[in-house]
Amino acid sequence: MLFRKLMAALASIVAIVLLILVGFLAIYAWPAIRFNGLHFLVKNNWSLGFLYSDPILRHGQQVMPGAHYGILFLIAGTLLSTAIAVLLAVPIGVGAALFLAEGVPALLRPWLSFFIELLAAIPSVVYGLWGLVVVIPFLGHHVFPAMQKWLGFIPFFRGPAGSGYGLLTSGLVLTLMIVPLITATLRDALVSQQSHLRDAALALGASRYEALWTVQLPGVRRVLIGSSILATGRALGETMAVLMVSGNALNVMPNNIYTTISTMASFIVSQLDSALTDPTGMAVKSLAEVALVLCLISIVVNSLARVLLLYQDRMTFGVI
Amino acid sequence: MSKQNRKFRARGAALAALAGLGLALTTLLLAASTVNVSETGSSLLYPLFNLWLPAFHRLHPNVRITTTSSGSGTGIAQAVAGVAQIGASDAYMSPAQMRQHADILNIPLAISMQMVNYNLPGLNQRHLKLSGPVLAGIYMGKIRNWNDGQIAQLNPGVRLPSHSIITIHRTDGSGDTFIFTQYLTFSTPAWKNQINFATTVSWPAAPGNIGAVGNPGMVDALKNNEYSIAYIGTSFESAIHKDRLGTALLKNRDGNFLLPTARTGKAAAAQMVSKTPKDERISLIFAPGRESYPIINYEYAIVSRRQPSAAMAAALRALFSWAISPAGGNAPRYMHRVNFVALPAPVVKLSQAQIAEIH
Repeated sequence: MLFRKLMAALASIVAIVLLILVGFLAIYAWPAIRFNGLHFLVKNNWSLGFLYSDPILRHGQQVMPGAHYGILFLIAGTLLSTAIAVLLAVPIGVGAALFLAEGVPALLRPWLSFFIELLAAIPSVVYGLWGLVVVIPFLGHHVFPAMQKWLGFIPFFRGPAGSGYGLLTSGLVLTLMIVPLITATLRDALVSQQSHLRDAALALGASRYEALWTVQLPGVRRVLIGSSILATGRALGETMAVLMVSGNALNVMPNNIYTTISTMASFIVSQLDSALTDPTGMAVKSLAEVALVLCLISIVVNSLARVLLLYQDRMTFGVI
Repeated sequence: MSKQNRKFRARGAALAALAGLGLALTTLLLAASTVNVSETGSSLLYPLFNLWLPAFHRLHPNVRITTTSSGSGTGIAQAVAGVAQIGASDAYMSPAQMRQHADILNIPLAISMQMVNYNLPGLNQRHLKLSGPVLAGIYMGKIRNWNDGQIAQLNPGVRLPSHSIITIHRTDGSGDTFIFTQYLTFSTPAWKNQINFATTVSWPAAPGNIGAVGNPGMVDALKNNEYSIAYIGTSFESAIHKDRLGTALLKNRDGNFLLPTARTGKAAAAQMVSKTPKDERISLIFAPGRESYPIINYEYAIVSRRQPSAAMAAALRALFSWAISPAGGNAPRYMHRVNFVALPAPVVKLSQAQIAEIH
């Protein structure tokens, strides 16, 4: 009985911490929320205002003259880079997991799996540094100009090809960071799947590929969706690696796949020090509002995925 | 092994342990008498601090100073919060900030300059002429091509490439941004009305612009991107030379185009000495005078006049007094290495008066 209570208390700590965190952010950011209004989400004009002048009173709040905070470009940068990463990472991750579970000689399997898991354990700043030193010059000087030339007929791939910093680079670095998450989880699920379904499929004359595609993969659909959600969450909140390769654009909406961007998480880091020099404190409160929006987006993405899972279950069991 | 032998061993071990303990205690005692000062901020001042520290350490072995390059915004924020004892900044604090933090002093330690650099294949060895209004046009996205008429007009006879301009700006709170935007503000009304100056400004949406962190990040971004332009502190001039990047001649208030050199920096400083107030918070940008380079500034130590201990206050006074003295940190052998200008004598006096307030 005591054990059960203890467990209940421990379990609820997580939920309470989340509530406290969001609550704190909301209370702290409240003056900014009132000052910014809807403007915050639909405009591209983040500016701390004229910091070397005297604060003025606007909408009942002390702010610096010329201060306005619109973060639409951050929301766009965050969602687009995450979308690129997830779109690329899911097929690669699934392919790698299938290969590891089925295609690799048994002798090599533990080694390759170990490396994949190791890839997931690398700190993100290492990815960022590698992206900055290796990937950006390569993409900027060779790949992007070629893409602009050959893929320019697709609207979002049209030039200018930029410098190597930007949306696609961020997306690619994020892809590398989240592929191992998907692969490792999915591989475990595939390996632990009971083999009689596959055996039955093979016995019925299905090829190995057909068995994989029609029997094994649908069996781990829940795991795939679950790991993709985790991966999406990681990509949405990734800070350091994106900070180093995104180009940290300010107030610009991406108009092609090579444009420099900023994401919400990296923006909070890069702007905090400047915000701290605002004597009215409105800049830091607006950064807290950015954090709040990021939290809300993560929650919405997670909830959507839950709904998807529920729908999935109903479909599956409905058919059976 | 004989009994005797074992005894010796035991005794030896005990002795070693005692010696170890003694050593640890001495280190602790020594550590107690050393003063640990942390300095953070301006990446423009950072190379100079790194030259200063070994020399100062020889004179004051009990003062241990750590220095990091984190940007002037961080320097001010951390000094005000008391996280670092010294915040290094190319920007003086704003009037509103000063009202909130009455204990903070802004002490000039030297005068630095800023270059405008570019990476134009084939033209890096030529000094292009640029003016405040043209730079403002470039950073506002109104002048988008290198062969734009306004740039060509300043540079007759130069074959400018038909290529879009990649502007590079600082994303961290930066004193370099502060002095660069002051130059644009003081020379270009449109910039003054729309953007003005600060350690972080709302950069207009020039297509393809790049944000970089710190002066080293600016050099790197400039080097890696042909047809780009950036503003970089003169303490990074050797890096610019090494990477064969271009340095612009900038138009001053009197209409002359000048390079940042010791001579043009001194000329500009001489114009501003008599205007420097007691608290030394003043912009030196766009000084009058034929030979005055337009972007020079005081490099400030942001420091609280109230220190937690007498030992810390004494260490800070010793450090700053040495740093601003023409025989110490402002000696030509340091200034030359980073292309800074020594503080003129009247400014040394003003700084000394501020240093004396630290207790």
